[in-house]
Amino acid sequence: MHQSFLGLSATRGHAGSSLRKSVEPGKPPCTRLARLGFALCLVLGFAGCLQAQQSAGKPSDQPPNEDFYLYKQVPDITVQDKAGSTIQLSQIWRDKPVLLTMVFTRCTGVCSPFLNSLKSATSAAGGLGTDYRVLVLSFDPKDSIADMNGMAEDLGLKSNAAWIFGIASPPEIRRLAEATGIWFRWDASVQQYDHPAVVVAIEQGRVVRMLAGATVPVTGLMEVIQELRGKFVASYALPGKVAFRCFEYDPRSGHYTLDWGLLLMVLPATFAILATVWIFFLLPARKRIADSFPVARTY
Amino acid sequence: MELTTDVTNLWSEGDLNKFRRMTLIWGATVLLLLPILASLGYFMRMFQSNFFPHMRPEWFYAVLTLHSLGMVGTWFVGGMAGVSYLLTQYTHPSLAISKLNYWGTLVGVLLLVACTLGGLFGTGWYFLFPLPLYSQGVWQPWATVTFFVALAVLGLCWTIWTLDLLRAIAQRYSLKAALGLNYLLGKPGPDVPPLVLISTVSLIVSFAGFVAAVIVIVLFGVDALGYAIDPLLMKNLTFFFGHILVNITMYLGVAMVYELLPSYAGRPWKTNRVVAIAWDAVLFLILFAFFHHLYMDFAQPRWVQTFGQICSYFLAVPAGVVSIFGCLALVYASKMKWTLASVLFFLGIMGWGVGGIAAVIDSTVEVNFHFHNTLWVPAHFHTYYLMGVVLIILGFIDHLGLEVSKLQESPPRTKAIITLLLLGGYGFLSMFYWAGAHSIPRRYAVYPNELAQGTLYARVAFGFITVLLCGILLYLWETGKRCIKAFSA
Ligand code: HEM
Repeated sequence: MHQSFLGLSATRGHAGSSLRKSVEPGKPPCTRLARLGFALCLVLGFAGCLQAQQSAGKPSDQPPNEDFYLYKQVPDITVQDKAGSTIQLSQIWRDKPVLLTMVFTRCTGVCSPFLNSLKSATSAAGGLGTDYRVLVLSFDPKDSIADMNGMAEDLGLKSNAAWIFGIASPPEIRRLAEATGIWFRWDASVQQYDHPAVVVAIEQGRVVRMLAGATVPVTGLMEVIQELRGKFVASYALPGKVAFRCFEYDPRSGHYTLDWGLLLMVLPATFAILATVWIFFLLPARKRIADSFPVARTY
Repeated sequence: MELTTDVTNLWSEGDLNKFRRMTLIWGATVLLLLPILASLGYFMRMFQSNFFPHMRPEWFYAVLTLHSLGMVGTWFVGGMAGVSYLLTQYTHPSLAISKLNYWGTLVGVLLLVACTLGGLFGTGWYFLFPLPLYSQGVWQPWATVTFFVALAVLGLCWTIWTLDLLRAIAQRYSLKAALGLNYLLGKPGPDVPPLVLISTVSLIVSFAGFVAAVIVIVLFGVDALGYAIDPLLMKNLTFFFGHILVNITMYLGVAMVYELLPSYAGRPWKTNRVVAIAWDAVLFLILFAFFHHLYMDFAQPRWVQTFGQICSYFLAVPAGVVSIFGCLALVYASKMKWTLASVLFFLGIMGWGVGGIAAVIDSTVEVNFHFHNTLWVPAHFHTYYLMGVVLIILGFIDHLGLEVSKLQESPPRTKAIITLLLLGGYGFLSMFYWAGAHSIPRRYAVYPNELAQGTLYARVAFGFITVLLCGILLYLWETGKRCIKAFSA
C-alpha cells in the first residue's frame, strides 16, 4: 500500500492571467442584417460552446484518495500525439512507465506553473526518457494538437521525445480521468475549467502512485520514480506539521534513516531500567536475603 | 547487612489476615465480572449468528470494546492480586496500594462502561490511532474523553501497583538475586523462588508497557492539538503496550502455578539455571516480539520484521517450553493430589501451550499473510487467556477459598466443572480457529453473503459457549460457596 503525497492540497486552476490565449473581441456590426446574423451566431456559438465543454468526476477540495485508485487498470484509450499520429495508451506504457497528467491550454491558473514545476522536478530527479516518460493530455475538447504543440513549445519541450503532449476523444478522456481520480468541471462564470493538479504514475497499465499539488516536489517524484523502477518504497508522507516519525526515507540515496520518533520507542525500556535501578539500588532495603547467602547448590 | 531467610517477622497475623481478605475481595470481584464479561462474548457470537437482525452494528463494536478491555483488565488485576498475595510469603507488598488499586480499577471500569454502553465508543480494545478521534458520528467526543480518562486512571493505578510490588521484592532481594543471576553464573546465592524471579521480570516489563501507554495517550493529545503523528509510531507503541500487558498477565498466572502446584504434587519446583535463563531471556525478547503485530505494515523496515519473527519464536521457547516441561516433570510419577484447583493449574499451563503454538504459527510472516486479522487471531489469544490464565486464576481463587474456608470439594461436581469448561471452551475456540483458517475476518458484526460460513461457525460456537457458561456457573456455585465461607471465617 502507498499513500499519496498529501503535503499540498490539490491546487485547482482557474484564476490568474492568461498565458497563451486572449479572447478576440468581435467587430461591431453595422447593419440590421449583420446585427441579426451576429446575434444568431452568438446564440449558436454559445450553444456550441456549451456542447464543447465537458466535465468528469466529482469536484473536491481534497486531493484524490490514492488508496482508491492504486493498482486500478487504466483504460486503453487512443491518443493523438504531437506529430498528429494516433497511438494506443497501452503502446506508451508497455514501452516504459508513464507519468500522466491532464491540463487544458486556455488555463489561466495552475496548468502552466504546474507543468513548469513538473519539468524541473523531472530533470532534477533524473531517469526521464530512460525509466519513464511524461504524457500530458488535454481534457478540453476545444484543444487541438496545434494548441498542445504550442503549450509544449512554450515550455521548451516540443522536441523532447520523453514528453508526449496529446489529445483524445472527449468520452475517452472522461474514462481515463475517472479511472485515475482526476476530475474537471467547466465553470461558466469564469470561463475556465476547475480541476486539480495531479500526476498519476502508471506502470504496466496500472496506477502505482499519485502526486497532488501545484508544485511537484523533487523528493516525492523521486519516490515515485523508484516505484516505477520496480523498487518498493516503504515510506509515506504525512499531511501538515509532523511531530514525530520513526524512519525517514531518502529517495536520493534510497536509504532509510532513523528519526526522532524512534527515540520514543526507546523510552519505555529506558524508564523501566531507571525505575529498576531506583527501586533496587536507591530505595532503602529491609533485611535483604543477601547475594552472599551461603546456600550449597548443585547445578 | 543482616542475613536472614526468616520472613515471619515481615507480617503480623492481623496484617496478613487483612491482606488475605483483600485478596478474597479481589477474587470475588473477578468471579462477579467473569459471567458478565463472558455474556458479552456470548452476545457477540449471537450477533454474528444473525440473531439480532434489527440491532445496529454499533452495539456490537461497543460491546466488543467493553468485553475485551474488561477481560484484559480483569485478568491482569486478578493476576496481580494473586501474585501479591503469594508474595506475602517472601516480601511485604502494601495493602493500602492494593486497596487504592481496587477503587481505581472500579472507577476505571465504570468509566469504560459509560463510554461504551452509554456512548457507543467502539474502537476495539487497542483503540488503534487515529480511530478514537474519527467516530464518524457513532460516538460523541465525551465518550472519547471518558475513554482516555478511564485509561489514564487504570494506567496510573496499575503502574503504582507494579512499582509497589517491585519495591516489596527489592526490600528482600537484591536485583541480582531477584533475577536469579546466581543461578545463571553458577555461583552460590540465596534460594530464589520462581515466583519472585518471574514476578520481578514481569513487573519490570509491565512498567515499560505502562510507560508506552502513557506516551500513546500523550501523543493522542498532541494529534488533537493539530500536529500530525506518525501512525506507524503509534501502532508500534500501542502494540508494545498491548502485547506486554497480555503476556504479563499470562506470566503472573504461570508464576502462581510455579508457587502452588508443588504443594499438590508434593515436590518442589525450584529455580535452576534453565529456569533462570528462560525467564531472564523474556526480559529482553518481549521488548521486540510485538513486531509480529505489524507484519502487514509495509512501512516497517524488513529487518524489523525479521527480528520480530525471531524474537516471537524465541519468546515462546524459553518461558513456554521450560514451564510446560517443568510442569509435566513435576506431575509425572508424583503423588499428585488432583483437586479442582490443581487440575485448573495444570490445564491452564497446557492451555498456554496450545495458545502459544497457535501464536507461533501466526507469528511466521508467511502464515501471517493469510491469517492476519482473521479469526485465527482471537482464537490464539482466547486460548491462552480463557484456557490458560483464566483457568489458573480460577484455580487460585478456589485454592484460596478452600485454604481459608476448609470446605471440602465434591469430586463429581469438580469433574462436571472440568468437563464443561474443557468441552465448552475448546469447542468455542475451535470455531474461531476453523473460521480463521478459512479466512473469516475478525471484528465483523454480521458476516456478508460472501462470508456466509462465518455465520454458521458463529452458531456452532454459540452452542459451545452455552456449555462453557454452564461450566462457569457451576464453578461459581462451588467456589463461590467456599469464598463466602472464607469471608465469614
Ligand atoms: C468467556 C468466553 C468468551 C467469549 C464467548 C468471547 C467472545 C468473543 C468474541 C465473539 C469476540 C469477537 C471476535 C471477533 O469477531 O473479532 C471477542 C473478542 C475479544 N475477546 Fe473474547 N470471549 C471470551 C473470553 C475472553 C477472555 C477470557 C478474554 C481475555 C482477555 C477475552 C478477550 C477478548 C479480546 C481482547 C477480544 C478482541 C477485541 C478486539 O478485537 O478489539 N475474551 N471475544
